Amino acid sequence: MDFQGILDRLTAIRAPGLVGSDEPRKADPKDKKDKGRAGDPFAIVDAQLLSEFVRACRDDDRLHFEQLVDLTATDPSKDAAELWINVQLLSLKFRHRLAIKALLPKAAASLPSLVPVYRASQWHERECAEMFGIRFVGHPDPRNILLPDDWVGSPLRKDYEFPKEYHGISCE
Amino acid sequence: MANEVTNTMPPSTRLRRTDASEVTVDIRTPDLEINFGPQHPATHGVMRVLMRTDGELVTGAQPHLGYLHRCAEKIGENVEWLQYLPYTDRYDYLASMNNNLGYSLAVEALLGVEIPRRATLIRIICAELNRIGSHLVAFGTYGLDIGAFTPFLYCFREREWMMSLFEKICGARLTYSYIRIGGVFNDAPPGWFEEVARFCDVFEQKWPEYVDLLLVNQIYVKRTANVGVISREMALDFGLSGTMVRGSGIDWDLRRDMPYMCYGEIWRDGAFTIPVAKGEMGALGDCWDRSWVRVMEMMESIKIVRWCLDHMVDGAVIGELPKTLKVPAGEAYVGIENPRGELGHYVVSDGGKVSVRTRVRGPSFCNLAVLEDILPGSLVGDAVAIIGSTDIVVGETDR
Repeated sequence: MDFQGILDRLTAIRAPGLVGSDEPRKADPKDKKDKGRAGDPFAIVDAQLLSEFVRACRDDDRLHFEQLVDLTATDPSKDAAELWINVQLLSLKFRHRLAIKALLPKAAASLPSLVPVYRASQWHERECAEMFGIRFVGHPDPRNILLPDDWVGSPLRKDYEFPKEYHGISCE
Repeated sequence: MANEVTNTMPPSTRLRRTDASEVTVDIRTPDLEINFGPQHPATHGVMRVLMRTDGELVTGAQPHLGYLHRCAEKIGENVEWLQYLPYTDRYDYLASMNNNLGYSLAVEALLGVEIPRRATLIRIICAELNRIGSHLVAFGTYGLDIGAFTPFLYCFREREWMMSLFEKICGARLTYSYIRIGGVFNDAPPGWFEEVARFCDVFEQKWPEYVDLLLVNQIYVKRTANVGVISREMALDFGLSGTMVRGSGIDWDLRRDMPYMCYGEIWRDGAFTIPVAKGEMGALGDCWDRSWVRVMEMMESIKIVRWCLDHMVDGAVIGELPKTLKVPAGEAYVGIENPRGELGHYVVSDGGKVSVRTRVRGPSFCNLAVLEDILPGSLVGDAVAIIGSTDIVVGETDR
């Protein structure tokens, strides 16, 4: 199924939390400021309903997304008010992918964990939590995975300040 | 919290693995927590698995990563697009060509540039040769882990030639940075394709040695069959990919099912097949099945390389691109079939010289997560066999 087909199906089954979609487009020749957008199309989903949404994607027999390939976050810029949660789903049976984006306010970066739906997201969420300071509510093992337990700050946020020293080791 | 195993099996569920010939003696000893690593040779890098054991039985296990974390994703947000390429060499250092390829394809997806045909074919040759080299290490060192020293030397003999082939084409033996955004760095030197063809012929003769020496060796089979069984459902739920899913009997390969470059064409020509484990020596999805898939895949890679040699065309090897790339605004995810599974690059651009986000979805990271579930219930001696069979590269789990 192509992206439009997946989107139609998601609308038809009333997938919880589906807000809209974004597709790549060419630049508008009349508007000089408009540069267009390259890359993949993605579905936009309400972050608080993301877990319900992927469950619907997994359980629907025509979408059949058996695998969560990737879950990560993006901090688009220092001034942005929202983080993005990016999820990549894959259906082995129908050989299609779905990219999902959920917007999450930086001030209250918390959303329900996806682990009850896909075990694959367990480590991805741990990484996401330590790198972006996002809280996954209901995560079974919310420890740091790549960073030391006592690390301060969320390194992949754009406003992160590099530490001057760590346990007496100078980082400058 | 960090030094505690949280997934311990309750005593009522502790059963020892039994064959008809094995007798289990049910003696309880106090649980003991032991560190497997970070400097154990069988962890293939600096990784630590904290295990809780009841005698010889592993009752809980948790991998601890991060000892090799080099902030690859943060670096990606601070250097120019092309400058990031050498960092991709360093996550899965046994398959650097494939990493270069994955990153280049992701950036090209945003750029929308045409890749010259000759460059595409050279890319596939390099990626497949590198896959052979990577599987040789995986298979050879796996034998080493569980006590077979000799096959390791045989595997490294062929890998040495593969590395010298790469040295001839790009000057490096391990970290190539050869596949660039837009094509490949330079054309192959005179006589290189002929030598690759010779390598294929010799490898084809040597390949049965791996099968005879190790794969069907009774000691090896005893050590790996029925050990570390990953069921089909578990493989899907944990998001495993590559040899790990094919080892569990799932017929899935991105080169065929979501073709990129000209793999679709090669597949339609019937040049290669996808080996999928059938559980010949024991339960489907055991350690033996995974190593069988790797050994079989090497021959398929040889076939793909031969196809590319036969269809080689003349022409440019890199498209016209400016030195300082400005990538159009947008975002793209590209997953390719690395030797270890799906290597995904998710790149976000705001139209500038530097990426907004460079996310690396390393297959080793996802494949390793399954250890938390398959180690409990196995024997301590089998833990080495199970960890080896997941074929992780710690550079990639930690990035």
